[in-house]
Amino acid sequence: MVREDLGLTGSKKGCGIGDCGACTMLVNGVATFSCMMLAIQADGCVVETVESLAENGKLNKLQQSFVDLGAIQCGYCTPGMLMTATELLRRNPHPSEKEIRLALSGNLCRCTGYQKIVDAIKAVAGE
Amino acid sequence: MILPRFDVLVPNSVDEAFAMLSRYAEKGIRILAGGTDLLVDLRRPIIPAAIPSCEGCARHKSGSIRSTVDCGWWESDSSRESDRALLTKVQDSIHKYPEYIISLHKLKELRGIAVNEKVNLRVGAMTTITDIERSGIIREKWTALAEGADSLGSPLVRNRGTIGGNIANARPAADTFIPSVALGGVLDIHSEKGSRKVPVDSFASAPGETVMEKGEMITGIEYPAPPEFSGSAYYKLANRKALEICNVGVAVWIALEKPGGPVTDIRVALGAVGPTPILAESVKEVLVGKKPEDANIKKAAKAAREDATPIDDHRGSAWYRSMMVELVTDRMIRLAVERVGGKV
Ligand SMILES: Cc1cc2nc3c(=O)[nH]c(=O)nc-3n(C[C@H](O)[C@H](O)[C@H](O)COP(=O)(O)OP(=O)(O)OC[C@H]3O[C@@H](n4cnc5c(N)ncnc54)[C@H](O)[C@@H]3O)c2cc1C
Ligand code: FES
Ligand code: FES
Repeated sequence: MVREDLGLTGSKKGCGIGDCGACTMLVNGVATFSCMMLAIQADGCVVETVESLAENGKLNKLQQSFVDLGAIQCGYCTPGMLMTATELLRRNPHPSEKEIRLALSGNLCRCTGYQKIVDAIKAVAGE
Repeated sequence: MILPRFDVLVPNSVDEAFAMLSRYAEKGIRILAGGTDLLVDLRRPIIPAAIPSCEGCARHKSGSIRSTVDCGWWESDSSRESDRALLTKVQDSIHKYPEYIISLHKLKELRGIAVNEKVNLRVGAMTTITDIERSGIIREKWTALAEGADSLGSPLVRNRGTIGGNIANARPAADTFIPSVALGGVLDIHSEKGSRKVPVDSFASAPGETVMEKGEMITGIEYPAPPEFSGSAYYKLANRKALEICNVGVAVWIALEKPGGPVTDIRVALGAVGPTPILAESVKEVLVGKKPEDANIKKAAKAAREDATPIDDHRGSAWYRSMMVELVTDRMIRLAVERVGGKV
């Protein structure tokens, strides 16, 4: 629905069964794997996808940090990572490394080894 | 998302939900909560409730066939009339999905954590695992349940998954089910006809099968107030820290006369070592009336091991699981005793 009917192809489909987190969106502010949600369940909810992050056509701080610190290789996991990190930073603007790793534990990345993703989030969290 | 065809019903009140459940009971209707179990099962060609049980064959005990891939016995001897009848039954049901899915997402009254004046805890069926994880009062007084929530899946799974779904799904390794058995949880089960209460420890009858009847729904779970000098703990032994199903899960609830004093009551629940979470009854006999001392705790952990009936599978062997039940039970009893303020 989001990708094909609305044309928002930022969110990716990985596993389709809740394991990888590539499809993560925020639903009423809560990080949610969209592959396990029927469109009707989102009725009346505010849904944010990765496309909503850029500000005035420019990457936001978190996105820029991912680029600057090399937290992207193939990029398939990135939209999901960004959405999960966005939720974390809204809830807890200064998370510790442990809290970052815990929050990301449902988002898999097969390329970066996670360290650079954690670094990129830490940089924005002002650690 | 490739899913089979079904109609989705969205009730606006619990009464409407009960009416829908009974109206469509015969057509095949399934409750959708967070969907983190159901939507995975629907994607597979088989959903367990739709599969008839087999009568048994040379290779399997009766009732053991859950899918056609489990058993190919009819290929070798398909001459038997009863075998062929069963084969047709199994094949017919392969693509049998529920015709209706009833989604409870609008029923706000089913979501929430409340403590009443008797300090009993009530958790609504649609309460998410994240809600439980973040509840201070649950962590303080019903600690094992909070620890079960911590260890379930990943943050994304916890944001969607509900306690009602985790328990109704009736898997032997379900991470909020096991502590709920130890904490003496009681389910509120409702239908159009009325309501009944079922202790969590007698709710599941086999993997994925429960005492729930057509038209029924869980509305919530109640946990008794913990007496003074009681405490609990849950540990999930697994290969990874996230996104993992446990090899062995042990929840302990213990009540003492005073810190360090004799045990007045204990409930030990074992997960992933039997077809359903097991209440290890014999631990009670070993420990009640005794002091929570090293030798007694060791005996109690051995008793728990005797109560477990693990099997070999890809997560671990029966032998390993049996040893781990003893070890983890031992540690959890000690931890629970320490939480009451004692030292072992
Ligand atoms: C990637 C991943 C990892 C997971 N890891 C774990 C784990 O580590 N530990 C664990 O225990 N589980 C795990 N699960 C399973 C699942 O997330 C939990 O069991 C979850 O709590 C199920 O809740 P739900 O609301 O999503 O249930 P649903 O999928 O909506 O429902 C599950 C079943 O319960 C029934 N049901 C739901 N609500 C009710 C109700 N109120 N009354 C009656 N029947 C009802 C449904 O009809 C269905 O049969 C995992 C799942 C995924 C996808
Ligand atoms: S596609 Fe993998 S979690 Fe949704
Ligand atoms: S960058 Fe390739 S999966 Fe994460």
